[in-house]
Amino acid sequence: MAKLLDKQRYKCALGAMQTVQAITRAIPVLHSGPGCAQKLSDSIGSSGYFSPNIFPCTSINEKDVVFGGTKKLETTIENALKVIDADLYVVLTGCIPEIVGDDTGEVVSRFEDADKPVIYASTAGFKGNNYIGHEQVIDAIIEQYLEKSEEKEKGLVNIWADVPYQDLFWLGNIRELEKLLVEIGLTPNTIFGYNRGIDQIGKIPKAEFNLLVSPWVSVGNMKKMEKKLGLPWLHLPTLPIGAFETGKFLREVGKFAGIPEETVESVINEHENYYYYLIERYADLFLENRVINKQFSVVADAQYALGITKFLANDLGLVPAKQFIVDDTPKQYREAITEEFKKLNFNLQAEVIFETDSYKIHEQIKEHDYHGYPLILGSYYEKELTESLKGNYLNISWPVQDKVVLDDFYVGYTGGIRLIEDIYTVAVQRFN
Amino acid sequence: MSYKIAVASSDGKQIDESFGSAESFLIYEVADGTYRILEKRIFQQESGKGKELPAEEYAASGSCGAERNCNHPIDCGNGTEGGCGGAGGSSAKVEVVSDCRCVVCRKIGFHIQKQLERKAISAFDVSVPVDEALAKIAYYFERMDNHVSLRGQNSR
Repeated sequence: MAKLLDKQRYKCALGAMQTVQAITRAIPVLHSGPGCAQKLSDSIGSSGYFSPNIFPCTSINEKDVVFGGTKKLETTIENALKVIDADLYVVLTGCIPEIVGDDTGEVVSRFEDADKPVIYASTAGFKGNNYIGHEQVIDAIIEQYLEKSEEKEKGLVNIWADVPYQDLFWLGNIRELEKLLVEIGLTPNTIFGYNRGIDQIGKIPKAEFNLLVSPWVSVGNMKKMEKKLGLPWLHLPTLPIGAFETGKFLREVGKFAGIPEETVESVINEHENYYYYLIERYADLFLENRVINKQFSVVADAQYALGITKFLANDLGLVPAKQFIVDDTPKQYREAITEEFKKLNFNLQAEVIFETDSYKIHEQIKEHDYHGYPLILGSYYEKELTESLKGNYLNISWPVQDKVVLDDFYVGYTGGIRLIEDIYTVAVQRFN
Repeated sequence: MSYKIAVASSDGKQIDESFGSAESFLIYEVADGTYRILEKRIFQQESGKGKELPAEEYAASGSCGAERNCNHPIDCGNGTEGGCGGAGGSSAKVEVVSDCRCVVCRKIGFHIQKQLERKAISAFDVSVPVDEALAKIAYYFERMDNHVSLRGQNSR
């Protein structure tokens, strides 16, 4: 029977146009119906040199369903190459051409000799959500653009994290991860955000290894690069937020990269000194048990659900209630992620639920006894619910309506402090 | 269920006429997935009536509603969109094919296409042999009518 999904927290695979948009001077060329880009773009933070309103699109209609849309696709790519000054053209297909069977790969292959690289990813909505679409775009880059490099750059590490734009803090997070790697003596390479584009993509094969900071997104990409480019990879499922996880993060990266222990420890030490100086100064606030909630729930994708749960339990000593992962995590990754939620300090374990239906999530939150008012870190969908439960609420995952984030971040030592600031700003408002 | 298709072709072999310049339409009937020629309809251009209305005139003629009381061309989409879903003002040529399910021609203007749309008539502007067009359209409508997936439609 057909299933209705209440308030889902992701988009269709074509939402990967935002992954392309995050690569400077890369442009998606859409083979889809008119309006797809409009609906998939976020209302804020997606303008710029290229914005969804100018993405070339075949705008296919009934005629193209009946007679095929490949001719239109060819002229659209041809003219995009003429009119738009970009470094990389990524053709993305929507549901309609995929169903009726337009051979996009064949059309794109006619542009092999074009001055600029043209690649394609089959991002039909029925193939998965935009997390999967993001993987497909990176796969396309690996398969159709990158070549194995014999030449290696010492200390160069590719960093991969979660999905740009879908992750509110993507830009700040990836920059902060870069900074942390620089501090222990590595040279990070990333392909998303300001000043990161085709040159950085070209450097991928020269790296010593890939670093993946995500519970499951891009695991497939890492395997693909290992096979094609011979790049080993380090998988750290937990987004490091706050002192405990960031220390662990730096030690594991340092060990994998062969960085001397003393170097890593001195970096950690310096950060921790400042981090705990701040915590100490505000200990009066943190130890005042009426201020903060006794239990919390995170309603977010696997990345934030895991990262924030570990941070709140390990660094702030809060007690996790049920945690909800809403990104439709593929089944093969679920067990490993569930295990991660059991590795908390103070013998704490968190129960995690994989659920995409907001109605069911909200029912479970309403039923749970939070021993007082709850702390809910979730999407905008949780705002009204938390208000009705008289709880504290913070918007940390998509969709985001009541928050503007330009380059703020929650990763690392500084990110942990930012998250504390945000949570306690909400908490103290209750009394003031 | 059978339906009709209007084809703008000068020789019955190739779709070579635009909707606007076509003097006649070949009307085909499709029943049970097969098509046959039914008749040739000649478009009689009468003074003032057979003429296609220019866009502005068309908008003013009440495209935004049967009441024809809308004085805000912008609000009613200036005749370019069926914003108010009105029934008024369609070209005489559209009337000629009004009992057809779709029109096949080499080219078609935007406004005429909108007028056809309002009568739930699809327009296909293609330059292919008549037989190819009819076969593809018949296949498409048959699947649509029987709620069969269009999967692989173009890779047949």
